[in-house]
Amino acid sequence: MTEFKLPELGENIHQGDLVRLMIAPGASIAEGQAVMELETDKAVVEVPSSVSGTIKEVLVKQGEKIKVGQVIFTVENGAGGKRVEAKASSAPAAAPKSEPKPAAPKSEAPPKPAPSAAPKATASAPVVPSESNEVSEFKLPELGENIHQGDLVRLMISPGAQVSEGQPVMELETEKAVVEVPSSLSGIVKGVHVSQGDQIKVGQLIFTLEPGATSQTHSQQPSRAEESHDHARMAFQAAIQSEGKTEEQALPRDQPPTASVATFSMPLHLDRAAGVEHRGPVPAAPHVRRLARELGIDIHSIPGNGPGGRISEADVKLYAKSVIAGAASGAGSAATHLQQPALPDFSKWGKIERVSMRGVRRKTAEHMWEAWSSIPHVTQQDKADITELEQLRTKFAPKAAEAGGKMTVTAIALKVCASALKIFPQFNASIDMEKEEIVYKQFINIGVAVDTDRGLLVPVIRDVDKKNIVELAAELTGLSKKARDKKLSPADMEGGTFTITNLGGIGGTGFSPIVNYPEVAILGLSRSGMEPVWMNNKFEPRMVLPLSLSYDHRLIDGADAARFLRWIAEAFEQPFLLSVQG
Amino acid sequence: MTERSQPNIAIVGGGPGGYAAAFLAADLGMNVTLIDREQNPGGVCLYRGCIPSKALLHVAKVIDECRHAKNWGIEFGEPRIDVARLRSFKEGVVNKLTSGLGQIAKARKVQYIRGDASFENSNTIRITKNGGGGESTTFDRIIIATGSRPAVIPTLKLDSPRMLDSTSALDINDVPGTLLVIGGGYIGLELGTVYAALGSKVSVVEMTGGLLPGADRDLVLPLHKRLEKMFDAILLNTVTAVKEEANGIRVCFDGKDVKEREKVFDKVLVSVGRKPNSQIAGLDRTQVRVGDRGFIQVNKHLQTDDPSIYAIGDVVGEPMLAHKASHEGRTAVEHIAGHKVAFEPNAIPAVVFTDPEIAWSGLTETQAEKEGREIKVAKFPWAASGRAVTLDRTEGLTKLILDPASERILGVGIVGSGAGELIAEGTLAIEMAALAKDVALTIHPHPTLSETVMQAAEVFFGTSTDLYRPRR
Repeated sequence: MTEFKLPELGENIHQGDLVRLMIAPGASIAEGQAVMELETDKAVVEVPSSVSGTIKEVLVKQGEKIKVGQVIFTVENGAGGKRVEAKASSAPAAAPKSEPKPAAPKSEAPPKPAPSAAPKATASAPVVPSESNEVSEFKLPELGENIHQGDLVRLMISPGAQVSEGQPVMELETEKAVVEVPSSLSGIVKGVHVSQGDQIKVGQLIFTLEPGATSQTHSQQPSRAEESHDHARMAFQAAIQSEGKTEEQALPRDQPPTASVATFSMPLHLDRAAGVEHRGPVPAAPHVRRLARELGIDIHSIPGNGPGGRISEADVKLYAKSVIAGAASGAGSAATHLQQPALPDFSKWGKIERVSMRGVRRKTAEHMWEAWSSIPHVTQQDKADITELEQLRTKFAPKAAEAGGKMTVTAIALKVCASALKIFPQFNASIDMEKEEIVYKQFINIGVAVDTDRGLLVPVIRDVDKKNIVELAAELTGLSKKARDKKLSPADMEGGTFTITNLGGIGGTGFSPIVNYPEVAILGLSRSGMEPVWMNNKFEPRMVLPLSLSYDHRLIDGADAARFLRWIAEAFEQPFLLSVQG
Repeated sequence: MTERSQPNIAIVGGGPGGYAAAFLAADLGMNVTLIDREQNPGGVCLYRGCIPSKALLHVAKVIDECRHAKNWGIEFGEPRIDVARLRSFKEGVVNKLTSGLGQIAKARKVQYIRGDASFENSNTIRITKNGGGGESTTFDRIIIATGSRPAVIPTLKLDSPRMLDSTSALDINDVPGTLLVIGGGYIGLELGTVYAALGSKVSVVEMTGGLLPGADRDLVLPLHKRLEKMFDAILLNTVTAVKEEANGIRVCFDGKDVKEREKVFDKVLVSVGRKPNSQIAGLDRTQVRVGDRGFIQVNKHLQTDDPSIYAIGDVVGEPMLAHKASHEGRTAVEHIAGHKVAFEPNAIPAVVFTDPEIAWSGLTETQAEKEGREIKVAKFPWAASGRAVTLDRTEGLTKLILDPASERILGVGIVGSGAGELIAEGTLAIEMAALAKDVALTIHPHPTLSETVMQAAEVFFGTSTDLYRPRR
C-alpha cells in the first residue's frame, strides 16, 4: 500500500486549507492527476498526485487545514515512480515563467554527503582507488592492524543510488570502534551484496556498480532519486509562488507543472507527541520555557545569550521588559507582539462553533492589525455636491460602456484622487521610521477595495494620472471581475500608493476606513442621496456624496487633510476643474 | 465580583496519567473524583504492564546471570522454578504498589469510584458502578485518561488459552515448551526474555526490517546478538494464519527468507502494538473529536475541542508511555487551574527493559536523517569502560547526538546493562540545553557506567581518556 502525503509547497508555506477534494475511495488515480485544491496564504493551487493506483482511503476532509507531510490518501496496488525521471526533467520546463527560487534543499539533502569531511574512521586505511575504470566492485578494504571483520551497523547505499569516491557507504562496528567506510569508487550502485547486521570480512564484496558508469565522478551529486525530488519540488514551488501569475495560471488544469515522484520523502515528525507543535527543541531549561509562556512570549523569538544560544531566565525577563517598553525596535515585527489576552470560555453561555481562519481572512486580519497598531489614524469627513457630476456621468455612461467599462462614482473618484495626489504629494507617500525618512512616490497607483466571496481584496490600478475616465472605468470593471472570479495575481494587488473604498452600493452615511499600510491615506465613499442644500438663498434638492478620509497623522496634519478632502469635494462639484487641473 | 471557587473535576481512568492528575488536582485544592474499574488506582502500568513485567524481568536477569556465572568460576546448577511462588511475588509487588496508591488517594481526599463512565453531555458523566447501580454527576472539567489496550490483528484472532496477549502472558499460568512471540516491539521482546529465562524455547517474528522498529540500528544490534543466543529464532517475516491443533497452535509464515512455512508452538503471544481506548460511551454528545488511528485530538494544553474536556496519556497519541501520561496529566490540571502551561518537552525518554537495555531520549539518528537535519554523533563503546569490563558486559554503547554549530546535546542513545537508569542524565542534559562541554566537564563517579556519558562527550572533542582515536 502506498501513501500520498502533502508535498512541500514552497518556502514558508507549511499548510493550507483544503478547499476542494477531487478524489474518493475506490476511484482510480494516476500520477499527475489533480487530488485537491489547497488554499494557502499566497494562492489556491491544485495538488497533483505522485502515485497511481486505486484509492483505498481518503484521510482528509474538505475545510480541513492540511500540513506538509500529512497523509492525504492511501493507494492499493499502487504503482508509482516509473515515469519519475521523464516527468521530473520535463517539469521545470513546464513550470511557469517566474524563476523557481532554488531554496536550499535542506530537507532532502542526503543525510551525510560531505565527501570532503574525511570519514572519522579510525582505520580508513589505504583505500586504494582503482587504477582503471573497469573496476566496478567495491570490497571491504583493510581496516587496520588486527582488524579482520566487523558488523554492518548501518548501510548507507541502495541499488540505483549514486555513490562517489570518499562518500561513506556504511558503518561498521569492529572490536575497537564503529567506523564509517568510505567508497573508493564513483558511479551508480547496481547491486548491494550485504545487509544490515551481517558480519563482514576484509575483502568481502560490498557492492557493484552499473557497468560503464564508473568513470563519471559526480563527486558531490545527490542520488538520482533525490535529484528528481529536487526537480519536483522546485517545479512545485515555481508554480505556487506564482508571482506575476493568476491563481489559475499558477497551476493550469491541463498541465500540472509538478513532477510526479513516487515517494516524496518530506520531513515528517513522526515521533512527536500529540499536540506538540514541532519547531525543534528550544535551548532553554524547562522552567525558563514555562516563564516565557506565562509572560505570553514565544520563547522561539527570544535571543539567548548563554553558550550555544541558551536562553536564561534573565534573557526572558529582559526581552519581556523590552517588549513592554515598546523598545523591541522595528526588528521584531509581528512575532514580538505580546499575545492577546486569553478568551473567556464562551461555551459557558451557549453552544459555539469554531471555524479556522482561511487564507484571505487570515491575511486581512494580520494586515489590519498591523495597520491599526502602527498608524495613528484620524478620519476627516466632508460632503460633495455631485448633482452636476451625476448628469455628466449619465451622459458619458454609453461611452464607457462602449469601452467595456461602467461609468461609476468610483471610476470618477479615481481620476479626482489622482489629480489631488499630484497637488498634495504627502498623501502619495510612505514613512520610513527606521531611517526617519519620508518616501514620496512619483507614480500614482490607486487601489480599489473589492468585496468578494473570499473577503476583501484590493486590486491596484496603475498610473491613474495618465489615464482618462473612460479608460479607468474599463480597467476598474475588468479588475473587479477578475477579483470576483479569483483570477487576481499577487502583482495585481501590489504597488498601491493610495486606496479608495466605496460602500455606497450598500448604504451608510459615513465610516472610518483603515489606512492600507504602508500607504498613508484612504478615501471612503458612502451612499449619495438627495439633501436640501442652502444655495441661492433657498434650500435646493441636491445629490450629495459623503466622503471619509482616514490618514496617518504622523505624516499628515489635520489642516492638510481638510484641504485635501475639500479639494476632492470641489473637484466632484466642478468636474470641469479636472480637465483644467488634472 | 464573586470569589473564584475551586473547580470540581472528574478523571476517567486511574493509570499513571489519571492518578498523577488526580493527586495534583487535590494538592491544588480541587474537588476530585477518580473513576476506574480496578480496586485501586494504577491502571495498565501497575496491574498489567510496566510493573509486573519489570518484576519478572528482574527474575529473568538473575537466572541469566547465574548461568553466566559459570564463566567466572561459580556454578549454581539448573534453576528449579516454582511458577506459583514467582506469580505470587509478582502479585505482591502489584498489590503493594496499587494499595499504596489507594491509600494516597484517600489521604488526599480524592473520591475514588470503581466503575465505568459514560458521557451524558460535555459536563455530565454517568458512572455505572462495578457492584451495580449508577449515578449522574456534573463536573466543571473532565479529564479523559482511558489509556490503551493490546491491538488485535483480526486474522490472528483465535479464541484459545494457547493464544496470549501481554495481559495473559504476565499471568504466567505455566512455562510453555515453545512460545512464538508475534511482534518484535519492546513488549514482545521483554516478555520473550522472561519466558526464555524461565525455560521456554522462544521464537520472535517481526514483519518490518528489524527488531524494535524506530530505534537506531546501532543500539539494537547488541541486543539482537544476545537475543539470537537466548531465543530459538528471530524471524523477520509475516504470519499469515494461526490455527489450533491438539498439541498446539499451527502458525503459517510468509516472507522472503522463510525457512519453515509452518510450525507448531505450545503458545503464541501476540504483541503487535496498542490501540487507544477512545470508544467511550456518549462521547458523541460532546464536542470531543477522535482523529484517525483513534486518538482523541487535543491542543498543547491537552484540551479537546470541547473546552470542558481534557484528554491525556495513551488515548491522545504516541509515544504511549506512562511517564509521558503523568507529565500530561499534571500539565492538564495546571491548565485547568488557570496557569499558562503547555505540554512541550524537549525530550521524552524511552526504555526497553531487555538485557541489555536500550534507552534513548530526544533526537535519534533515524529521526535526524528523516528530517535531513545535520548532526554530529559521538559514540563511546563500552569495551572501553572499566565498569563494563568488571561486569563482563562490554557490548554496550553510549552515544550523543549533537548540533554541530552550537555543540548542544539534542539526543542521547544508550544500549547496555542499566541503560534505562543512565538515560535520565541524558534527558536532563537535553532539557537544560547542555553543551557537550558541560557534560565533559562534569565529574562523573568512577568506576561507573555513567562515566560513558561523560566519555562520549569527550569523544566529540577527540580527547576521551579511555578511547584513543587518531586525529582526523
